[in-house]
Amino acid sequence: MPAKKNAAQPAPSAAATTQSSTTAAGSVPASAPAAAPSAKNSPANWDKVLQNIYQYYMKETPQRTKLIDVFLVFIAVVGALQFLYCILAGNYPFNAFLSGFGATVGQFVLTISLRIQTTAANKSEFPEISPERAFADYVVCSLILHFFCVNFIN
Amino acid sequence: MWSILSVAAALFAAAVSAVSTSGNRLLVVLDDVAEKEAYGQFLGDLTARGFQVSYETPRSEGLTLFHLGERTYDHLLFLPSKVKGLGPNLTPNRLVDFVNANGNILVALSSTVPASTSLVSLLSELDISLPVERTGTVVDHFNYDTISAAESHDVLVLDAPSSIRPGLKPYFELPGGVLAFPHAVGHVLGSGPLLTPIVRAPATAYSYNPKEQAEVLDADELFAAGQQLALVSVMQARNSARVTVLGSAEMLQDKWLDAEVAKLGGKSTKTENKEFARRVAGWTFQEIGVLRVNSVEHHLQGSEELNPGIYRVKNDVSYTISLSEYVWDKWVPFVLPEDDLLQLEFSMLSPFHRLNLELKGTTDDAAIYGVSFTLPDQHGIFNFMVNYKRSFLTNVEEKNTVSVRHFAHDEWPRSFVISGAWPWISGIGATVTGFLGFCAIWMYSKPVGKKN
Repeated sequence: MPAKKNAAQPAPSAAATTQSSTTAAGSVPASAPAAAPSAKNSPANWDKVLQNIYQYYMKETPQRTKLIDVFLVFIAVVGALQFLYCILAGNYPFNAFLSGFGATVGQFVLTISLRIQTTAANKSEFPEISPERAFADYVVCSLILHFFCVNFIN
Repeated sequence: MWSILSVAAALFAAAVSAVSTSGNRLLVVLDDVAEKEAYGQFLGDLTARGFQVSYETPRSEGLTLFHLGERTYDHLLFLPSKVKGLGPNLTPNRLVDFVNANGNILVALSSTVPASTSLVSLLSELDISLPVERTGTVVDHFNYDTISAAESHDVLVLDAPSSIRPGLKPYFELPGGVLAFPHAVGHVLGSGPLLTPIVRAPATAYSYNPKEQAEVLDADELFAAGQQLALVSVMQARNSARVTVLGSAEMLQDKWLDAEVAKLGGKSTKTENKEFARRVAGWTFQEIGVLRVNSVEHHLQGSEELNPGIYRVKNDVSYTISLSEYVWDKWVPFVLPEDDLLQLEFSMLSPFHRLNLELKGTTDDAAIYGVSFTLPDQHGIFNFMVNYKRSFLTNVEEKNTVSVRHFAHDEWPRSFVISGAWPWISGIGATVTGFLGFCAIWMYSKPVGKKN
């Protein structure tokens, strides 16, 4: 539902990420109408698309959402490294692998939840959850997660 | 304290009887008490070794093997008797009951007297078959005594028995000696594991019935010939009671104990019958080949506690068993026969370990065998089991039950002890640190709502 609404009004001032992708895709032919027919699949065109997306993201994303995204990338990298180590070096002791990898997965899921709940565009989905309340939930759940992981790694 | 008492009691008992481990009341069953004179040396030897010998004929009224459910004799010796059946007191059932009650029986047969039906039935119960018609004599036209049986060939002169198979104690081996078997009755053994032949007839011997087959022996009517014919056999029941069949009773008589015999074309030599008879009777009446388990000990390595009821999986455990062997009148350390092994099983239904026990040391009267091993990675109720059942030796079956528990929660190694876990520990550390940093920056940043 929100996506359709956004497509109807292409330039909302308080844009969030869900909007940004749809609007960015929509804005590509508008910003470069001459280049599109001449070189349809040229690398320059894709370059343009990516650059556009990046610029839009940098311009329209609030600072806290960007912070969440950075943290998500960090967690994903840490998790990937642990998984790689498990593949290369074996899974002994297995509980250590489970808790180490599980900590990153859980943290990733919780952070995604925080991102969904604090995005301004999703305000209508969670009318009674303020960003402060979402952050408090996030902190409590994360602490529980860390407690379990540290306990399980023994 | 208890062990000291029991040792003292055992010593006292040994001093009183100083004979067999299973009692000293011996009953000799023979046709006529006067006949015992012929066996004077053999029976005198038994008396000298401490047996209380009673003599009875099968016809005797007062003869009874059990009184109020208890054995009245510890051992039976059957000498040849002309009585067809042995009467109501010596039925095959009674004799089997006697064996089941740990009584020992030595049956001596002779081809001059038909075997009693009672004994034939008892032996067939044990899978030992005698010739049909209860008579049959073993002859050998190549291994007979040229002095006493130059014509009839029914006195066999055989080399003293050597080992039947490897791994047996040499109780009956008399290197270099010869044995005389006058008027022997051969028997054939079934395939039971409890039966062991001691002397087999030579390949050229055969059994025939002198009354019916004196003229011609039809091959179809041959009872047995050659090595399948046993002259002396022993049976040890599961309760370690012993039954011995001696094919020739006359070899126990004084005139044959150290008679001069000569093989065909050989010089005359003295027989070893006396020593052989002593050993056969001694073995049957449990004077040799008796094993005793003095103690079984198992403990956790590095722990003082003896025989604990519970271990943990993968514990290092030591097990020792102390064994003695009775040799005529004293207990000596039990030494394993060559080519034989004493094994310990650590079993739950089936053995998880079957280990060879090694000699760890000996005392004056006991040998201590032991082994150390790591318990399997399996929890449950386990047995330390020593199951040593061999021919000529009383059965040893020692079972000690212990519980084996799994690791307790705090007995696992901590993750930081295992170097392999360090990347994952640092992974959790990175996640938590990242979370803290994220929270700090989040709270420092300007909320979205204020922007508008």
